[in-house]
Amino acid sequence: MVQRLLGLRWKGSRLQAMDGFQKLLTLLMIVMSVFMLLPIVYIFNHAFKPYHELFVYPPAFFVREPSFQNMNELLSVTSRSTVPMIRYLFNSVFISGLAVVFVTGVSALCAFPISKHKFPGAKLAFSTILLTLMFAPEVIQIPRYLVVSNLGIMNSYFGHLLPMLAMPIGVFLLKQFIDQIPDALLEAARIDGANEFFVFIRIVIPVCMPAIATVAILAFQNSWGNVETSSLFMLDDEMKSFAFFLSTLTNNLAGNVAMQGAAAVASLIMFVPNLIVFIILQGKVIATMAHSGIK
Amino acid sequence: MAGIRIEHLYKRYGKDKQTVVNDFHLDIKDKEFLVFVGPSGCGKSTTLRMIAGLEDISEGEIYIGDQLVNDLPPKDRDIAMVFQNYALYPNMTVFENIAFGLRLRKLPRHEIEQSVKRAARVLEIEPYLNRKPKELSGGQRQRVALGRAIVRDPQVFLMDEPLSNLDAKLRVQMRMEIIKLHKTLETTFIYVTHDQIEAMTMADRIVVMKDGVIQQIDTPETVYTTPNNTFVASFIGSPQINLIEGKIVEDIPGSGKLQFQTSRFLLPIPQEAARVLVHHNKVNKRVTLGIRPENIGLEGLFSDAIITGAYKVSELMGADRFLHLDIGQDKLLVVRVNAYYHCEENENIRIVPDMSKALFFDADSGVRFKI
Repeated sequence: MVQRLLGLRWKGSRLQAMDGFQKLLTLLMIVMSVFMLLPIVYIFNHAFKPYHELFVYPPAFFVREPSFQNMNELLSVTSRSTVPMIRYLFNSVFISGLAVVFVTGVSALCAFPISKHKFPGAKLAFSTILLTLMFAPEVIQIPRYLVVSNLGIMNSYFGHLLPMLAMPIGVFLLKQFIDQIPDALLEAARIDGANEFFVFIRIVIPVCMPAIATVAILAFQNSWGNVETSSLFMLDDEMKSFAFFLSTLTNNLAGNVAMQGAAAVASLIMFVPNLIVFIILQGKVIATMAHSGIK
Repeated sequence: MAGIRIEHLYKRYGKDKQTVVNDFHLDIKDKEFLVFVGPSGCGKSTTLRMIAGLEDISEGEIYIGDQLVNDLPPKDRDIAMVFQNYALYPNMTVFENIAFGLRLRKLPRHEIEQSVKRAARVLEIEPYLNRKPKELSGGQRQRVALGRAIVRDPQVFLMDEPLSNLDAKLRVQMRMEIIKLHKTLETTFIYVTHDQIEAMTMADRIVVMKDGVIQQIDTPETVYTTPNNTFVASFIGSPQINLIEGKIVEDIPGSGKLQFQTSRFLLPIPQEAARVLVHHNKVNKRVTLGIRPENIGLEGLFSDAIITGAYKVSELMGADRFLHLDIGQDKLLVVRVNAYYHCEENENIRIVPDMSKALFFDADSGVRFKI
């Protein structure tokens, strides 16, 4: 494992070294991955720092005397709010769960016909979907509000879900992946007697699992960290998400000493589910395209 | 079990209506092993896919048994198809791959198990039933693909170049197994290949295609010995038939005896062939003579008609050796001789064609003369 990490390969009993360029690349990758890891390590450490460590100068990276002081602070803050924290948490988990299922479902249902069925306007439809990638979220806030409000789904879970349902990047990813599935595979299933829906469920989805997992991660992150639907479409506090609740806690904290500890724990709580989802799904993401039934 | 009737089938693609299959008309008998053969792009796969229902039909009709299937989806045509790239479902085990079609028909569980096991036994893939396709070799995968087809017990088997991804040795072995399979199943097989050896060895009848048009439909023997035109003559047979350009001349004016003349040599034409050539009014006209390498011998085996050619290259095939000789034509003449025959480069070799086996084609259209 260590050898593989360093790019060294065993061949017989002889340790085969890499050439100079490979060494350079490996070194570069290690430096980059450490750099990418820094914020994560920082978030974990920061959450457990007592107040005197949070404000120490020069700032310390690692925690010296870990404590649950910040956790208690967060709990005491939330206990003072009218809606219990657990309600916000439930909202977020519920919405994110639905988002993962429906966003992947809708993306796949959209990508399959565009990729594998010839119909007039298929290219136009795909280009339009790609085009929507170019709009900044702020641009579509007002039209989105109008849609949600006219549908009468303000202040409902559906109001959380609907704006997130169409994920162009998900459609794009899946379409590219489905393109690689040989037509013969689908034709074989059709000859075996499968209808289109069955082909989709039993062949396309399982073969696309790596892409589905990627889309699921993106959908989860998108929905878990989303404050927009809560602030724009939810009128009652008990319908708002955990991310929104934490953002209200940590808002206006710049230059403020109070509540910094609670904010540090809040960012950890926001981050951990992302990590868990990624760890669960990463095996699927990394799994190479299962093209093995095909030569 | 059913025959297939294909009536005036056309396939046109794109805006410019490019015709890929042109007036394909064919009656396939029940239990027949029919092979479509031709170079790539000749429309053989497209025709097969139209029979399977994977391509729309531009014009014409296809009947399986007595049923017109033009508008039937593939699943209702009672066919099974084996693809070149196997098309096994990568997410399922071998067992599930074979059982897939049966499960879709909602057969009882024990029946599915029985059928799959029986097919696996026939194809000798029983030990691999619980493996995923990626854990199998190319040959094993193709057996699974065959298994998936045979458990369905269809009326017609369609095979689209099923052996072309296998290595040479395995291909020969699988060829024999498919022939055996056809004998045991007693079902109509339609097999597409670009490999004329597969066509020759497996087919009851061969359909030779070129540019979407059928060139000849006949038994392998007939296609080989009496090809309809120069295309069929050169496509079937390896090494290729020798085609020699020349002119028909009269031996002694008025005698009725004809000779084939090139700038270098004269060959006598047997009576029967001469009658055909006279019938087509080809005396003193240009024709193409076709003669297979095995119908040319070294001097001494036959009496007259000797050609001298300069030796250029030889190919040893094990039991035989093929000599390539320069006889003053554009292409070298290929002669089959004994494997132990040796000669020097540019050495002049005297050879004797068996003119009773010679074929005569029109110099322009390439069509063989017959009465």
